Amino acid sequence: MATTFPLPSLGNAAARRAGRATSERILVRWSLIGITVIFLGVFLFMPLAVVFSSALAKGVSVYFAALREPDALAAIRLTLLASAIAVPMNLIFGVSAAWAIGKFDFSGKNFLITLIDLPFSVSPVVSGLIFVLLFGLQGLMGPWMAAHNIKIIFAVPGIVLATIFVTFPFIARELIPLIQAQGSEEEEAAITLGASGWQTLFRVTLPNIKWGLLYGVILCNARAMGEFGAVSVVSGHIRGRTNTMPLHIEILYNEYQFAPAFAVASLLALLALLTLFVKSAVEWKARQHVGELEVVKVGETV
Amino acid sequence: MSIQAVNITKKFGHFVALDNVDLEIPSGELVALLGPSGSGKTTLLRIIAGLEFADSGNVRFDGNDISDQTARERRVGFVFQHYALFRHMTVFENIAFGLKVRPRQYRPSKAQIRAKVNELLKLIQLETLAQRYPSQLSGGQRQRVALARALAVEPSVLLLDEPFGALDAKVRMELRRWLRQLHDEIHVTSVFVTHDQEEALEVADRVVVMNRGHIEQVGSPEEVYNHPATPFVYNFLGNVNLFHGRVDGGKTYIHETETGHVVYVRPHSLEIDRLPNGGSHFRARIKHINSAGPLVKVEAITEWGDPVHVEMAQDRFRKLQLIKNENVFIIPKDLRVFENQKKVAGGN
Repeated sequence: MATTFPLPSLGNAAARRAGRATSERILVRWSLIGITVIFLGVFLFMPLAVVFSSALAKGVSVYFAALREPDALAAIRLTLLASAIAVPMNLIFGVSAAWAIGKFDFSGKNFLITLIDLPFSVSPVVSGLIFVLLFGLQGLMGPWMAAHNIKIIFAVPGIVLATIFVTFPFIARELIPLIQAQGSEEEEAAITLGASGWQTLFRVTLPNIKWGLLYGVILCNARAMGEFGAVSVVSGHIRGRTNTMPLHIEILYNEYQFAPAFAVASLLALLALLTLFVKSAVEWKARQHVGELEVVKVGETV
Repeated sequence: MSIQAVNITKKFGHFVALDNVDLEIPSGELVALLGPSGSGKTTLLRIIAGLEFADSGNVRFDGNDISDQTARERRVGFVFQHYALFRHMTVFENIAFGLKVRPRQYRPSKAQIRAKVNELLKLIQLETLAQRYPSQLSGGQRQRVALARALAVEPSVLLLDEPFGALDAKVRMELRRWLRQLHDEIHVTSVFVTHDQEEALEVADRVVVMNRGHIEQVGSPEEVYNHPATPFVYNFLGNVNLFHGRVDGGKTYIHETETGHVVYVRPHSLEIDRLPNGGSHFRARIKHINSAGPLVKVEAITEWGDPVHVEMAQDRFRKLQLIKNENVFIIPKDLRVFENQKKVAGGN
């Protein structure tokens, strides 16, 4: 008989009672939960409460007056316009890029993935500056554009471009791992069954990635509407013309108009809440949806 | 429809998957492409399907060169090892897919599609599961759905890539018998890839044994098993004992130091006895006996120290009452001699 070595008694009674190998002792559990709750309260719920209470501090009439003010309306319109252009463009780009990267092998693939990630790793202010350097009056293409009366910087096109650039990776990044994990057997099956390329895309590929796609669109939209840094650089802050909602809020705040500033901010906060709600619904639905892989989460930089 | 592959060569980088392969598959046959992994069998199947394209050579259906046609134009039914069912569609929708994606002028009416799908559901005996999703089916059921989906478009040829590879042993056995029956009913030219020799020998009309991008032998299961053309085929189809030896004046001498020849004997072609019965024989000592199963498997060590495997019937074993470490005589009843990878003589 071989020598037996006594094992140290771990005495993890709580874990044994809980019936789970991964459970911790009560003290550890409650302190971890407590830290999380305090953290969430201080960093998430309190700011949100402050936004809404400050917005309504001077009464409901001031709140709605701030939203009805022409400059505020213009800012809301511009924000909606920029996202309405940026999100569909990134949708098309994201699906094509993810399709190419996920389904095919080609040289330079890793370089392409790195390029797609670039907006995540570059500070938004730098992104904005890139466009100023390219299209600004002193920029590379500035003189040519001035000669042809094309205005990008300090105008709506610049804001749209900056928004597209900053939200570039969201959808592609969301879809690439999903498409890679799914492989291309279903597409091959569709083709042998006589489906054309478009039929394969719309009947097989897109339905398989629809929840991931929706998730990417939601994140992309939230970021497009909330973007500050890059847009701030290219906008020029012309009231009623080149101000988006975040820029409008900043101006109001700097002018000590706290209630109107928070009123507009509350709209963005509501958008964030709505995004979170839809996002959770999509995640829940994606888990329900049989056979679809879990939605992959992407990192965010601000 | 008959299939011809002519001088097919396919490389993946520096790896030669298929090296100048020629193969002819007559109309209406069920043919197995058999070989170890990396032998090129799946690549050949995918080239026939149009999912992969050969570097050189061409593929013909009924004598017509279709090398430039896409998978879509070739009208082949393809069944994948991992089913490749559309996960967001029900069983019914999966089977109907091939009919629904047809251009409008060729598309059957909804009622016709429904009738066709129901007919196929009946064929695969899954009528009650039409509204299930693939993830709610067992492996065997999924593969049957995949087969029905491929058959729905009435393909000219049916190609199956390791169709039972992902299934457990019992389901596998059932399904391959079912495939054989199905083929006897519908007679569509079918090619299936497998690395399981038992499967190939049991199901196919004809077996194509492949190794390292070459075809080693084509023949009926009986031919390839009983008359292997190369040492590889001998080795790959069933267990085999391998001895070194030489051939001199029509006689085979095994265990000669000056070799040059390789002698192959199947375990069931060796007989064990306590006395040399006059013919060729050698001595061995029994090392291990496994009597579970229809045949008793005996492992012994020859007088020159090589292991040798013998299989015998249960009643023969009971009569002999063999025990471990006993010294016995082994009498080869049928052996095959190859030289330099080529067969030179069959003898006894």
